[in-house]
Amino acid sequence: MDERTGWHRAQPWVSLLVRLGLAGVFLVAGGLKVTDLAANGRAVNAYQIMSYDAAMVVGAIQPFVEIAVGLLLLIGLATRLAAWLSAGMMVAFIAGISSAWARGLNIDCGCFSKGGQLPPGVTPNYLPEIFRDVAFLAMAIFLIIYPVSRFSLDARLDRPFSAEPAEDDVLEEDSDESTDHTAQRRGRA
Amino acid sequence: MSSRKDQNAAARMVRDQIAKEQRRKRTMWISIAAVSALVIAGLIGWGIYAGAKTTEFTAPKGANTAGNGITNGSGPVVVDEYVDFLCPHCKTFHDEAAASIDQLAADGKITLITHPVAYLDGASTNRYSTRASAASGCAAEYGKFTAFADVLFANQPAEGGAGPTDDDLIALGRQAGLGDDFAQCVRDKRFVNWAGHVSEEAGRAGVTGTPTVLVNGKPTQASAATIAAAVAAAAGATPSASTS
Repeated sequence: MDERTGWHRAQPWVSLLVRLGLAGVFLVAGGLKVTDLAANGRAVNAYQIMSYDAAMVVGAIQPFVEIAVGLLLLIGLATRLAAWLSAGMMVAFIAGISSAWARGLNIDCGCFSKGGQLPPGVTPNYLPEIFRDVAFLAMAIFLIIYPVSRFSLDARLDRPFSAEPAEDDVLEEDSDESTDHTAQRRGRA
Repeated sequence: MSSRKDQNAAARMVRDQIAKEQRRKRTMWISIAAVSALVIAGLIGWGIYAGAKTTEFTAPKGANTAGNGITNGSGPVVVDEYVDFLCPHCKTFHDEAAASIDQLAADGKITLITHPVAYLDGASTNRYSTRASAASGCAAEYGKFTAFADVLFANQPAEGGAGPTDDDLIALGRQAGLGDDFAQCVRDKRFVNWAGHVSEEAGRAGVTGTPTVLVNGKPTQASAATIAAAVAAAAGATPSASTS
C-alpha cells in the first residue's frame, strides 16, 4: 500500500494542513457571524436571491453550520463528507457573489463580516472575493481526493490504518462467526 | 480439488471482504454522526431565530401609520431615513444634514419619517442599538424625539464597547427636556419590542445598512445637498434658495 514515494509520505501532512486551514476559515467566518444572526440574515437578504423571511432563516442557520463543519474538519471526523459540504458551500458562495455582481448589486459579500449594502461611492470588490472562495474550493476538492490526514479522528477510528495494535486484531486469526460479532459490537458503539 | 494454498487465498478474500464491510459500516456511522451534528447546529440557529422574533409591539405617539418610524412634518414629499444611534456614519450624516432636513419638514415641504433601527446590537456589549432605539420611542411618546436624537448623536459611544446604560439614557433624556415619565418608560422597556419591529420592517424593505435615505421611496445619498435636490425634483420645483 505504501509506495514509499515522497508524495505518499507527505500527502497526509499536506491534507492535515489543508484540513486545518479550511477548519480555520469556517470557524472564523462562522464565529464572526454567530454573534448577530439578524445582521447575517440581512446580509443574506442583501443578495436579493430569496424572500426576506427565507433569508433571515438561512442567515440564522448558516453560521452554526459553518462552525459545525469547521469543528468536523478540526478534529478530522468524516473528513471527506465535511470536505464535500465545504465545496458545496463554496460553490454556493461563488454563485451568490457572481450573481450579485452580474446584477450590479452594490453589496458587501458578508463573507467575513456582517455584510450589507455598501455606502454610496464605495465600489464592491467582487473579483478578489471570488478568487478567495475559489482557493477555498480548491482546498475542499483536495480534501475530497485526499481525505486521509495526520492527527485525524478518522484515522484513529480506522483501526486497520492505525499504528498501534488494536484489540480487534483477533480478526486476523479468528473465524467468520466471531468477526461478525466484532463488527456488530463496533456498529453498536 | 482445493489445495491448501487455495483455501488460504479464499480465507484471505473473505477476511478482506469482512474488513471492507466493517469499514463501510464505520464510515456510515461516522457520516450519520457528522450529519446529525450539522442538523443539530442548524436547529440551534433556527431555534434562536424563532425565539428572537418580535411579536407584540406598541408604537409610540408620533409614529407613522405603519408604526415603523417617527414622523416630523406633513409635507407632500416623503423622506424616509433609517439610522442606528450607534452607527458612526449616521452621526456624520446627522451632524451634516439634520438641521436642513428638519427645516424642510418645518417648511412643510416634506414628511420626514425617521426609522431608528437597531442593526448594530453586535457592535456593543450591552445592546445599545436596541435600547437607544427603544428610548427614542419613549422620547417620541413624550414629544421630544428630535431633541433626544440630537442628544444621542452628540453623545454617541464608540463601537465595540459598552454603550450608555438605561440610566445614562435617562440622564441624556433630561438634557433633551424629558422627565420622569420618560425615565419610567425607559425602565419599563416599553418600546423594546417596537425597536425590533422597526428593524424587521426596515430589513423587509431591503434596508441593509445605515444610514439609508429614501426620497419618495427612491434611494438617495445621505447628504443635505442631495436630499434637498431630490426633494425639489420630487416636488417638481427647482431647489429653493434656503437649501443652497
